[in-house]
Amino acid sequence: MTENLEEDYLRLQALLGRERTETLGVVSGRDLMRFAVAARCPPGQVPLFLSSLMGWDAGPAEDRLGTDGAGATETRGLPLGEVRLMGAGQELEFHAPVTAETTIVVHTRLAEVRLKHGRSGPLLIMRILRRFTDETDRPLLTCQESFIAR
Amino acid sequence: MSNVQHHTTAPAVSVGTRITPYRVRPSTVQLFRFSAVTWNAHRIHYDAAYARSEGYADVVVQSHLHGCFLANAVLAWAGPGAYLSTFGWENRAVAVAGVLLTVTGTVTALDTALDNAREGGRTVAEVTLEEHDEHGTLCAPGHARVVLPGGIR
Repeated sequence: MTENLEEDYLRLQALLGRERTETLGVVSGRDLMRFAVAARCPPGQVPLFLSSLMGWDAGPAEDRLGTDGAGATETRGLPLGEVRLMGAGQELEFHAPVTAETTIVVHTRLAEVRLKHGRSGPLLIMRILRRFTDETDRPLLTCQESFIAR
Repeated sequence: MSNVQHHTTAPAVSVGTRITPYRVRPSTVQLFRFSAVTWNAHRIHYDAAYARSEGYADVVVQSHLHGCFLANAVLAWAGPGAYLSTFGWENRAVAVAGVLLTVTGTVTALDTALDNAREGGRTVAEVTLEEHDEHGTLCAPGHARVVLPGGIR
């Protein structure tokens, strides 16, 4: 695992600062309502909807998921091997509310990657910057997210 | 279940004001539904046997759901018409289904936003937040800048 993480670390270093743009799709009113119900949001408030979604496409078939159930598409598009990715928190700046039928575009950039040797072994600490906009480039949300990969 | 009480008016607020505590006991059903709606297939969130094999007492509350609980707390306190301008949290400790989580918070600064088209003229409260489990463990500290629905009362 140590060698794999070191390989991941070298791959990720090469990506630092490069921005990747991807059209995620159209927000459905049903998904907004389901998120509000599942997260027990106050009426009309779903501020963490965009930054909480792990995937927008159909995702991999079950036999392509890891034994832990996680799929490769849940690494925010980063070229990671078989690692366990844990969310460590987010810093969010809200520019405009997300409403149904909005087309969502995400601009993703790896802002920081560190290889650390902790008490329980090596780990990668990453900070990913995501700018969510609509299709006209109107800002919706800026999200800095920290992840730990073991 | 949660004890959510959504306020219907802007709260009386000054620096040092404590927000209404928000308590939630996330159920296995809630964790399953949150995983479903966020398309998170990680088994530690809905497969108790798998979660135990990983050393957890039960299925694990998602990192983003902790964030939602903190956001819910400040928005429920602030009342209808309030919205978040900025918000952040850190995941410090794991919580599992069935554990009572309590979010508390304190207003640390007040401002009247004049230079932002969206916030212009409204009162903005900066709030520090903490989510503890029933054993007192700090699961998630956070902070929010919330635009209140009216002026300071």
